[in-house]
Amino acid sequence: MDALLNNDIIQDIILLAKPALFNIYFALAAIPLGFPFAIILALGKNSKNSLLSHLSAAYVYAFRGSPLFIQFFMFYSIALVLNKPLWKPLGIDEFMLHPLFLGPLVLVLNTSAYAAEIFYGALRAIPKGEVEAARAMGMNKWHEFRTVTWPNMIRLAWPAYTNEVVFLFHATALVYFTLPVINDQKDLMNKAGELFEQDYNVFLHFSVAALYFLAISMVIFWVFNRIYQRLTQHLRQDAKKMAFKPNYLR
Amino acid sequence: MTELLPQWLLSWLGEDWSAVLAYITNGKHLAWYASLQYTLIAAFVGAALALLFGLMGAAMKQARLAPLRWIGNGYTTLVRGVPDVLFLLFFPLAFEQAVEWAIAQAVCTPEQLATATGWPLCADAQWYLSHAAYMTMACVSFGLVYGAFAANVIHGALQAVPKGQLEAAQAFGLSQRQVFWRIQVRQMWVYALPGLSNVWMLLLKATSLLSLLQIEDIVVWADRLGAPNYLAMVGAVHGDWRWKYYLVLFLFYILMTLLSEKGFNWLQARASRGMARAN
Repeated sequence: MDALLNNDIIQDIILLAKPALFNIYFALAAIPLGFPFAIILALGKNSKNSLLSHLSAAYVYAFRGSPLFIQFFMFYSIALVLNKPLWKPLGIDEFMLHPLFLGPLVLVLNTSAYAAEIFYGALRAIPKGEVEAARAMGMNKWHEFRTVTWPNMIRLAWPAYTNEVVFLFHATALVYFTLPVINDQKDLMNKAGELFEQDYNVFLHFSVAALYFLAISMVIFWVFNRIYQRLTQHLRQDAKKMAFKPNYLR
Repeated sequence: MTELLPQWLLSWLGEDWSAVLAYITNGKHLAWYASLQYTLIAAFVGAALALLFGLMGAAMKQARLAPLRWIGNGYTTLVRGVPDVLFLLFFPLAFEQAVEWAIAQAVCTPEQLATATGWPLCADAQWYLSHAAYMTMACVSFGLVYGAFAANVIHGALQAVPKGQLEAAQAFGLSQRQVFWRIQVRQMWVYALPGLSNVWMLLLKATSLLSLLQIEDIVVWADRLGAPNYLAMVGAVHGDWRWKYYLVLFLFYILMTLLSEKGFNWLQARASRGMARAN
């Protein structure tokens, strides 16, 4: 048992367990907010109102067209400037400048743009016949959305959305490169870098950090695949099984 | 810089705008604009290397020899499975250490090697890297990471080349190598371009990470220029302007994306000349 615990790799896995929680926290905080925001953006981009669709399209383009790294810096510097006139008087400066708040906020803004593009593509691929059938049945707009648009959109977008969530999880590695590290609140990359500076063993520490990222990505794929199985239950015969085969493109 | 301009232009601009113009063309700002070269070099050299590694990876992925196939698949899966920033940081550090280890074997005494605890193994084995060396390693890093992405795109495109054409070429007596280079690779571009365009966009956005690789790029300069500035002679020059500089970078990258999109649309139109189209 002692020999096992003294193993370098095991030691590193133990040391990096807590930092991994920070990456998981960033992803878990960003997904539940990013998902509805992305759907609103996608519906906005697909809407007949030209002002709404142009605004949503511009938002999606801007956030997909610029690096997340710059977005982090930009929002952090904006938050810093607003500190004196806004956050301080309101007494929320600690909160607004905290990486645990600002990190997920920027991640939400970023991931919702990417996910919105996915959902927008799915919206455009919804079978025309089903929409026409719903209208022929005399469904109102909301009823049509609930029974035809929504389930089709989610089902079509799910594999690509899974991929986006994995990208989001990988993007959490950037949070602490741009925002201040407070006390011992370090994520995987911080901790791996710190361990590297102690003994210069780049292969060990970075590999274990990579292992964490790989393992958690697999868990994300597994969970999202279970949901996909449920979504496509009625199509069981011809539904392809989602394998661990990450897409390469965001 | 403003002294180079004719008087009428300056008087037309007025004092305020002339001052702004003078400010954004001062030495530090010119250094900022000059640092753009690193971003562009990293993007273009990185893209060229990514294409090279992508072709090699794709060729391995469809190799007949199983171990080659494993290497190809392992390369793409590994790089894709971890965040790009992890691999971008890992490669230069690992390469530097490998070189330092090799130097150590040559220059350190056996006693030093046996008793070494830290790194480098002895003082003589320290490798002092120049800015150019960091830049080269950054380019190779980008090439390796986005080469894996490109390999997957190219692999898909190679498979999309109609089998009949390859068989026809083979029937004409072309060798394996000739079929690969003259038929398969030459035909695959039209299928690969949309995917490669996406890889290029990812690579372009990743060039903002150069500052993490010890390069004094546009991000480092933006941070420097925007930081609250205080001069003993005149007092506070400006407060925290970093948000303005980052906003400029934000818009700059959006503009680059826009230009790349236009470029790739043009390329795609060129590459699909003579192809049958559905619409």
